[in-house]
Amino acid sequence: MDRDLRAPPNVDRRSLLRAMAASLALASAAGKQARADERALPYVNAPEFVVPGKPKWYATAVGFAGYAHPVLGKTYVGRPVKLEGNADHPATGGATDVFMQAALLGLYDPARSQAPRLLGRTATWAAFDAAVTKRRLMLDERQGDGFRLLTGAVTSPTLLRQISDLLRRWPKARWHVHETLGDTHRMQAAQQVFGRPLEPHLHLDKANVVVSLDDDFLGPGPHQAVQGRRWSQRRLARQQEQGDSNLFIAEPSLTATGSMADHRLTAAPVRIGLLAAAIARALGVGPSNNDALSASETAWIGRAVEAINANRGSALVTAGRSQSAEIHAVTFLINERLSAFGNTLGFTDPVVSAPGSGSSVGDLIEDMTAGHVSTLVMLAVNPAYATPTKLGFRQALEKVEFALHAGLHADETAGLCHWHVPLQHDLESWTDGRSVDGTVCLTQPLIRPFYNVRSLHALLDSWSAGTRSDHDLVRASWRDAWGKDFEDKWRDTLVRGFVTDSAPAAVTPSVANHDISIKVSAATGLTVDIRPDPSIWDGRFANNAWLQETPKPISKATWGNVLLISPRLAARRKISPGDELRLEVNGRRIVGAAWIAPGQDDETVTLTLGYGADRAGPLPHGLGYNAFALCSDPDSWTITGATLAPTGNHDVVASTQLNQEMDGFDFVRSVDAPDAAVKKHPETASFYPERHWDSPSWGMSIDLDLCTGCNACVVACMAENNVPVVGKELIEQGREMHWLRIDHYFEGEADELESSFQPVPCMHCEQAPCEMGCPVNAAVHSHDGLNLQVYNRCVGTRTCASYCPYKVRRFNWFEYTGNDPEQLRAMRNPDVTVRSRGVMEKCTYCVQRISAARIASQIAGRPIRDGDVVTACQQACPTQAIVFGDVTDPKSAVSRRKASRRDYNLLEEANTRPRTTYLARIRPGERPS
Amino acid sequence: MTDVAPTPHGYAAVTDQIVDIAIDYPDRRAWWICFGVALLLLLSFFVSVTVLFSYGVGVWGNNIPVAWGLAISNYIWFLGIGHAGTLISAMLLLLEQHWRNSLNRFAEAMTLFAVICAGLYPIVHLGRPWLFYWIAPYPNTMTVWPQFRSPLTWDFFAVLTYLTVSILFWYIGIVPDVASARDRAKKRRAQVFFGLAALGWRGAAHHWARWRQAYRVTAAIAVPLVVSVHSEVSLLFAAGPIPGWTSTVFPPYFVLGAAFSGFAVVSMIAIVLRHALGLQNLVTPRHLDLLAKLLLATGLMTAYGYWSEVFDTLYAGEHQEMGTLLDRLGGVYAWSYWGAVVANFIPLQLLWFRRVRTQPLLLFLISLSVTIGMWFERYMLLVTTLYRDYLVSSWREYHPSFWDWSLFAGMLGVFLTLFLLFVRFLPIISSFEVKEALFEEKGNKKEQAHG
Amino acid sequence: MPQIFTASADTRLRTGVLLVVLVFAVCILFLGGFMDSTYATRVGWVRDQPVPFSHEHHVGALGIDCRYCHTSVEVSAQAGLPPTHVCMTCHSELWTGAPMLAPVRESLASGKPIAWRRVARLPDYVYFNHSIHISRGVPCVACHGRVDHMPLLARAEPFQMRWCLDCHRNPAPRLRPRDQVTRMDWSDWDRHPERHKDFGRRMMARYHIEPAKLIDCSTCHR
Repeated sequence: MDRDLRAPPNVDRRSLLRAMAASLALASAAGKQARADERALPYVNAPEFVVPGKPKWYATAVGFAGYAHPVLGKTYVGRPVKLEGNADHPATGGATDVFMQAALLGLYDPARSQAPRLLGRTATWAAFDAAVTKRRLMLDERQGDGFRLLTGAVTSPTLLRQISDLLRRWPKARWHVHETLGDTHRMQAAQQVFGRPLEPHLHLDKANVVVSLDDDFLGPGPHQAVQGRRWSQRRLARQQEQGDSNLFIAEPSLTATGSMADHRLTAAPVRIGLLAAAIARALGVGPSNNDALSASETAWIGRAVEAINANRGSALVTAGRSQSAEIHAVTFLINERLSAFGNTLGFTDPVVSAPGSGSSVGDLIEDMTAGHVSTLVMLAVNPAYATPTKLGFRQALEKVEFALHAGLHADETAGLCHWHVPLQHDLESWTDGRSVDGTVCLTQPLIRPFYNVRSLHALLDSWSAGTRSDHDLVRASWRDAWGKDFEDKWRDTLVRGFVTDSAPAAVTPSVANHDISIKVSAATGLTVDIRPDPSIWDGRFANNAWLQETPKPISKATWGNVLLISPRLAARRKISPGDELRLEVNGRRIVGAAWIAPGQDDETVTLTLGYGADRAGPLPHGLGYNAFALCSDPDSWTITGATLAPTGNHDVVASTQLNQEMDGFDFVRSVDAPDAAVKKHPETASFYPERHWDSPSWGMSIDLDLCTGCNACVVACMAENNVPVVGKELIEQGREMHWLRIDHYFEGEADELESSFQPVPCMHCEQAPCEMGCPVNAAVHSHDGLNLQVYNRCVGTRTCASYCPYKVRRFNWFEYTGNDPEQLRAMRNPDVTVRSRGVMEKCTYCVQRISAARIASQIAGRPIRDGDVVTACQQACPTQAIVFGDVTDPKSAVSRRKASRRDYNLLEEANTRPRTTYLARIRPGERPS
Repeated sequence: MTDVAPTPHGYAAVTDQIVDIAIDYPDRRAWWICFGVALLLLLSFFVSVTVLFSYGVGVWGNNIPVAWGLAISNYIWFLGIGHAGTLISAMLLLLEQHWRNSLNRFAEAMTLFAVICAGLYPIVHLGRPWLFYWIAPYPNTMTVWPQFRSPLTWDFFAVLTYLTVSILFWYIGIVPDVASARDRAKKRRAQVFFGLAALGWRGAAHHWARWRQAYRVTAAIAVPLVVSVHSEVSLLFAAGPIPGWTSTVFPPYFVLGAAFSGFAVVSMIAIVLRHALGLQNLVTPRHLDLLAKLLLATGLMTAYGYWSEVFDTLYAGEHQEMGTLLDRLGGVYAWSYWGAVVANFIPLQLLWFRRVRTQPLLLFLISLSVTIGMWFERYMLLVTTLYRDYLVSSWREYHPSFWDWSLFAGMLGVFLTLFLLFVRFLPIISSFEVKEALFEEKGNKKEQAHG
Repeated sequence: MPQIFTASADTRLRTGVLLVVLVFAVCILFLGGFMDSTYATRVGWVRDQPVPFSHEHHVGALGIDCRYCHTSVEVSAQAGLPPTHVCMTCHSELWTGAPMLAPVRESLASGKPIAWRRVARLPDYVYFNHSIHISRGVPCVACHGRVDHMPLLARAEPFQMRWCLDCHRNPAPRLRPRDQVTRMDWSDWDRHPERHKDFGRRMMARYHIEPAKLIDCSTCHR
């Protein structure tokens, strides 16, 4: 597909609204009825550069936790239909994650707030502006006394400029920041150790040895894509036997990082501190307190320290979000001792700007309760839900005379405020922000707002008597920054999507404070370990159906959160999966469904945030429990002294994979060295004649040594192929529609646990049983080696699914698409047929992309080049685990992968000659299984 | 000496006895009660199908991996039952086994109706039933033909052929009796009805000649079908490369199973009819004895099929196949496996004793148990294979939903309704063939006297 | 016993049966015939449009090239319908007051698109790409017929799968010089087949067109 990234001139933007009429009409035609719709609606005034039927790509960015994630947006006649990573970006290099992939649905979300509300009743913007003016004049007199602004983490230069202007106008006003699951402790540690705020950056691509103290750096979060990419570069290097990629982790609950670790230690949260101290001591850092370590802990530390000493300068020790500032501080000291600074651990001035001390949400709530707050403006935050219930935000809010909430949804906070106003989604607004490495990204709208919404910048501007549009505001900030060659730079940046070399310079700090001591508290009773939800984070994505339906990487649960407990604890308490448990910590309690997780510490219960919201919208209603109810401090995620009791009820957990034990099978295979050959079954003879394959003939290779189970590919696939969402009940019945699923298997127990992920798309078997079974020729083979599924020919005998050894086929048990609201129809990819009731569907290797590439190359009169066809899953993958291409061309990337000695077929015994093959996991020092 | 010949020994009497049932049904009250029940079940059929067609196959319990469910296992079960009729009438006709004459008519009818039920299942189970005709080869504007490697395509032909031949065979057989019904009918309506159905049969010599030819030819066609149809159906499973299905023993195993279940149902019907309509003199204990022997024989052969399936797996010792076998013996659905084994073969052993064979009630109960046992078998073969195939990750149990069961009940309703109408309005036993038997009986006696 | 049936009953019965068979056969034949009739294919049926636009006049008489209005036909899957302002490039000068052009002016004023009724229509599960056909020298007329003879546009060919496949199975005869695809009148070409008998074959070789691959389902269905 050709991505000419032309900066859209403004006339284009303007005309897009007019385009919407046309495109929505076309969209509803992109339904699946045999008769295309009657009417054809041309433009009145054709926007420049928009060719009907040809996609346009625009570089922009979507925000998450304050950071900007650079994306390329694919649009058809003004409708965004797919987001992909921006391969040119210095940090992400095109890597993506679930949240970025699902941002598209966030834009079209029918549950979005669509008009201002006063005390819950729909109001007009005019009324709102009047109210603001009145308020503003009053505050002008008091120099803004009593005015408080609450935002999430902010990296946007424009927003910062606006805020500082506001504070300059109103010296007595204050700005508070609340970012759930921010990196607070790490920042505090930097302050402690270096005496100034610094933001650390893990250069995992340089780290031969990584020791992670409960740091799930491959897990969900704003850094996932970048860190996953860097880590995979190191793994790839190890595969070429250039250095090591030795990953040690100690964690209470199995995570993505834990699954990829070479040496994993299951450790209770309270033990992490001891381990940190012990490692420090072993490396001659910090105080020598002598604590009793268990045999397995000592062994783990021994191996880790040995590895570190063997790789000084290319080793890295890192601690996780829920660890105390002291532990982080100690890891900094260790890394300094390992001369990791500047190599595996970089520092820059903070990318996220914080207002300074006394600006936490805790302080805000105190002031509110004390009645110091008369006007509270909350931008894109939901403190009424996403703060510890104990802090009592809701009660404090009653003391505020004018509370305004601006957000994408009318959420809990909106319900308690006087005013709620709907915000524009990033994909329909102008803004800017910094990606995790600090590079500045410009966000340009892919579409005009189709709801009655306003941009965050414009909204804030109205508080300083301004009426400028988001476009003007953003340009203004950069006109100041760039001076005379502004216009060129502006255009250039819009094309590229980011400002080159705009990342803050790396600094190598000197340690100011060496004596850090870790206070270790002994745990009594069970320890509660609270983590972000892998698919809806802290609940801010609860309305996103794609994310709700995305199975959590480990439990494979969807549409809700569970309490993770260890098999031993379950056995001891006679708990089976799905049993409803009451978890109680000093008076506060939650009730949720149990899930038994191997690799879980026996005395630790792991919870995830984001569910149990009371009025978060139609989707998340009545799902899961609210872990915030247990917290007392917005930044501490470990609580000791909990008690657990079954309530006697039983809930059904909508898990897409009920059996995760590999049961002695060899679905996931591993080798003990990069060059070792994987064990294969001898290929069995076949009655089918050997077929000759012309070039191109497509195939895929998936490297299990790189897949971190992050699900980015799963969501990308849903977006690209119009895969319907079916909801909790149908998933409980085993009717999920994901074309690409990620199986999770484990073997062994506790510290010997081996956990691995296996993405399973259609295998496109050369000798496909499904094709033999179909009575109507709906499952057929193409000349370029694809196993096709012709929806419009399918009558739904389901023979193909019964015969498929991999069970990758999905059936439309009901009419899933016919009743979609207009917004969702507008979101559909027009290149892919929308399937109707009674039809079988499955992974097509993104045949629409193959066709596009084929036609493009034929018109250009050249053969299809390697890399012309990039499947949605391949593009999305942050770790380059998926490679796709022409298997008949020995020089193609995929052929080179398949030539590896680690290459094997899933289920050779079925003798289906699959085109999708796997590269075995590398587990050093272990016999090939 | 045989005692398959009817008493009283009078040709007219035989005709009267049989045809009068059709003309002037004896025990109407009992019939109406049964028919009421049948209609209720039929209602359930129409409701279930309406729900199914308006919401989609999702109303059933099916899922991925178990994409086929009750619909297909019932289809195979019904089709199996539909085998006995043709076996008895066609095969035994060609083998000159005259004792069949008092059984073949209602056996054929039973076959016909069972095959109709079976034929309905694959159509309603489609995702898009309104396009079922795409499985048939016909010239079309898409220039797309069916996929002839698929067992389903052959299934379509097999069942259609079998249905057609069964109808022909049954109808040809019934014409002469319909004619005599016409001649004895008193009411005008009955006369016209039978008259039309008799196609102008006057019993002339050349009528009989033609009739005999037609009857024997159709019989000759029908016999190989008995074997082919269920062999073909077995490929529905055997063609899938799934542990528990890929087995060469399936065709014979299915055919024998089919005959087994069929004979069970025939004996049940025979016993009920002779009791309800006082046909003890036409369907004699000797008949029951012979039926029971057939049942026992086919049952033992089926048992051998079970054994050889287990043996194959153990002999091959293939990891996945073993897994499936062990799961059948001890897994979640073990009840269906052991249910089949017990219900099919344990009571069956009683049939070694002649007293049991000729004891209607016992024979009825044993047949009933076999019918249920065979249902278990079909269910077991389908579900235990699918719910737990190759990849551990895709294992998932299957539980039929309410609508699965209601449709099953509905299908039984379809069967009962049709059969009761047949019993009520048509000669349920071939009177002229019985008379033939009787005639030869006498012939034998004479010869003995002379000799 | 009184006679129930007259002597002729047999004959009547037989004719009855015969009739049933005949009716059945006729139904089948009728259905088959209907599918190929223009009632089903809509070939030659004009549809009344908001504006009675005449291709005969614009293409035939004025000789405006197809690509003047259908701009994206060479680069995109869709040929594209002309935006209102394209109509106005001329009609702001010519026939400015013409009542039949009222909807066009109205559309320009209101900014509401003109709602044309589609003539060349394919089901949603069929993905036809104009650009590749044009670049291979399949002339417009091959599918859309002599639009220069159509006062009101009508479908020229039955857009049935069989019709698509006829060409995909044997494209050679349909191929024309790349630079003349929009030409309407090919009568001289068709009149002297001997001059062009291996043109198609040469083009097939030059573009590496392999009919076997052209009839993969994924060529049109995705």
